[in-house]
Amino acid sequence: MLRPRITPCLLIHNGGLVKTVRFDEPKYVGDPLNAVKIFNEKEADELVVLDIDASVRGVEPDFHLIASLAAECRMPLCYGGGIKTPDQARRIIGLGVEKIAISSVAVEHPSIITSIAAEVGRQSVVVVIDVRRRGDDYEVWTHNGQRPANVTLAESLREAGTRGAGEIVVNSIDQDGMMKGYDLELATRVRGMTALPITMLGGAGSLDDIGRLVEKCGVLGAASGSLFVFKGIYRAVLINYPRQSAKEELIRRCLPPTAGHQ
Amino acid sequence: MTQRAYQICTNCVMDTTDSRIVFDADGVCDHCRGFFATILPHWHTDDRGRRELDQVIDRIKLEGRGKDFDCIVGMSGGIDSSYLTYLAKEEFGLRPLVFHVDAGWNSQIAVNNIERLVDELDLDLFTSVIDWEEMRDLQLAYFKSGVPHIDTPQDHAFFATMYQFAEKHKVRHILTGANYSTECIRNPLEWMYYQSDATQLRDIHRKFGTRPLVTFPITSILRHKVWLRYIRRIQVVRPLNHVPYLKADAMRLLEERFGWQPYPQKHFESRFTRFYESYWLPVKFGYDTRRVQYSSLIVTGQMSRNEALTRLEELPYDPDTIHHDLEFVATKLRISVADLQGFLAAPNRTHRDYRSQQDVYRIGAKVMRLIGLERGGKR
Amino acid sequence: MITIVDYGLGNVQAFLNVYNRLNIPATAARTAGELSGAARIILPGVGAFDHAMERLEQSGMRATLDEMVLDRRVPVLGVCVGMQMMAHGSDEGDRHGLGWVEGRVRALEDWPSAQRLPVPHMGWNDVTPRTATMLFQGLESDARFYFLHSYYFECHRPEDVLAVSRYGADFSSAVQRDNIHGVQFHPEKSHQFGTRLLKNFAEG
Repeated sequence: MLRPRITPCLLIHNGGLVKTVRFDEPKYVGDPLNAVKIFNEKEADELVVLDIDASVRGVEPDFHLIASLAAECRMPLCYGGGIKTPDQARRIIGLGVEKIAISSVAVEHPSIITSIAAEVGRQSVVVVIDVRRRGDDYEVWTHNGQRPANVTLAESLREAGTRGAGEIVVNSIDQDGMMKGYDLELATRVRGMTALPITMLGGAGSLDDIGRLVEKCGVLGAASGSLFVFKGIYRAVLINYPRQSAKEELIRRCLPPTAGHQ
Repeated sequence: MTQRAYQICTNCVMDTTDSRIVFDADGVCDHCRGFFATILPHWHTDDRGRRELDQVIDRIKLEGRGKDFDCIVGMSGGIDSSYLTYLAKEEFGLRPLVFHVDAGWNSQIAVNNIERLVDELDLDLFTSVIDWEEMRDLQLAYFKSGVPHIDTPQDHAFFATMYQFAEKHKVRHILTGANYSTECIRNPLEWMYYQSDATQLRDIHRKFGTRPLVTFPITSILRHKVWLRYIRRIQVVRPLNHVPYLKADAMRLLEERFGWQPYPQKHFESRFTRFYESYWLPVKFGYDTRRVQYSSLIVTGQMSRNEALTRLEELPYDPDTIHHDLEFVATKLRISVADLQGFLAAPNRTHRDYRSQQDVYRIGAKVMRLIGLERGGKR
Repeated sequence: MITIVDYGLGNVQAFLNVYNRLNIPATAARTAGELSGAARIILPGVGAFDHAMERLEQSGMRATLDEMVLDRRVPVLGVCVGMQMMAHGSDEGDRHGLGWVEGRVRALEDWPSAQRLPVPHMGWNDVTPRTATMLFQGLESDARFYFLHSYYFECHRPEDVLAVSRYGADFSSAVQRDNIHGVQFHPEKSHQFGTRLLKNFAEG
């Protein structure tokens, strides 16, 4: 049976790991290479690394860093940040990365999804959509939450699907770093609007939060930055990841006994 | 100058790789004699030792009333600090804040052990993350300087940052896992010079560093042994010296109770320290820190001399996998393995080749010993 | 020497890293000359079927591969699209496959709607070997691997199915015919399970 993917999501800013709250106030978390190494030894399901400077500053990805991180991963690695062309995507995949993530550029110019998918294969193209809640609706934002996009969430999801993306990551700006749980309403809507594999990001504060997400939406990806990097009331930096027994228990508890998907 | 003839202590396993070692007529070294003369008579792990400790514990509890925590415990994830954390909460009934310094080299085992203890004991954790770019640059500066004590950046940051925190939050008691049981015989100064000597750190940084130390925490011996101790009244307590502490028993308890993971050798909680002690020091300088560790265990009756000698016959590192460690350290420091090997082959220097406050230590140690405030110590 | 066919697709470096950590000598081959001395061969692959077959032809190693695998019976392990290429053809494209294992590659999307789940099949799934085999030694039960694919291998001979996984319905997650092995999942990215499988392949 396919299992839910529990995925640490690491943000890189000025070459170091940071964690934000609502896409703001980056707090320094340490050296990316050591964190990746520890997650690998803890046998994390997969890893997402996003360079949050690249799209804002319009700089090229740090290829050397990406190669070093990839070399430490015995699990799939997804890299995002500053990827604008199929050539860059191909180069990054060639460094040992399984998937590339595109965000602002995919929302604003969805044809890029197709050209990158043609280059590296659909399974390696992840579209990241950042959203903010507005009333009963969700708005899409780009450039690290700084610019409102001129497409709706439904449109972005549809475009990603028809243009050839392999996976959607929906990132809740409101819940980012809050550690109070995923936006389950958002997750349910997204699940209903696309047939692609989805991953929710933003809000996880405990393994129970991941359980609730899986209970609601079935098998999907549950990503988090804060949960696997902070501990306790002082948000002390300590890399952590659920043990296999805890993951099995979560599956038993939160998924129906057979099949287990919707 | 003629090469000194090889000699090894008949009691422990320290030998002439410590160039200042002195042997008596029975072939017993001055490390052992120092232990028997100055440490052992004052080291009590029975009722008396416990009573001394209880006085401090009571004071900690009193001063900590109404606060979120009454002391901080320095925690690396290693056996000493892990066992201490357990004792602090369960045996002594204290409410410690677990304090961890992340210098960028944490092993998975260390992080796992900290998590297990913090979770099971239901304690709060605070982590100070050292800026990696500054740490990296300082570590490279130490490599370039050619001195043996290249683990100073980590050690120094550990203490400096704990003291900074204690001072800022007005915490009067810092508990550390330093102990006679496994550390009564210390690394010779020649092998590991004082990590707290800020003058040396700054000089090496000035000569070989490439970026300013902005956030890197720096302390100095006068600052923390005099100012913080006597003016700010921040006391460092070493509880493991007041209770029976046998490493093997402690490890078993932690494994069974907390799922604590053991390390292949002391200090392996940091990948850098492991590389440094098991490969760099022996290969570049001929200093095998296992000699020091085993000698402590020998004089405290936890290891036989024969067992120590047998173990010392094996290489301190695994020749089949050492290239992985070299690759890892080089990649992490963003240099090539060839660069790293270049540092290895470069001329050996000592702490005397750079500026230092060693006089302050010498005079200070004399004064402390004279007025009975300290025993043992490095030489 | 384990040789990974480097024709431009697939995470060649990841395989080399696994073998490096295991202290098992391994190398990558970019030309027929570099390939010809291999004791065992790994054929990786990602992306579209036609694109992969085209790249393999362009690499100039196709003929040598056929000869080594079919004539000299050198053990080979196809991974992901590398496994799919071993079929006669794919619903994904127009080109012929290598034809080493009788079968056709089909789309997960073409399954009946009752069994249809999000595509690509992405994540960790259980793999159950049908029989005791060298490749899955020590992995007979509770083994799981990382999958990332939208097409699957449909074996024409049931005896070629080495292992089965379920994603809505059952499909072949591993195939074997004599010296020819294929796995749909990514052993180079499946932690200890994948490392064990790759070790088995090297030493078995």
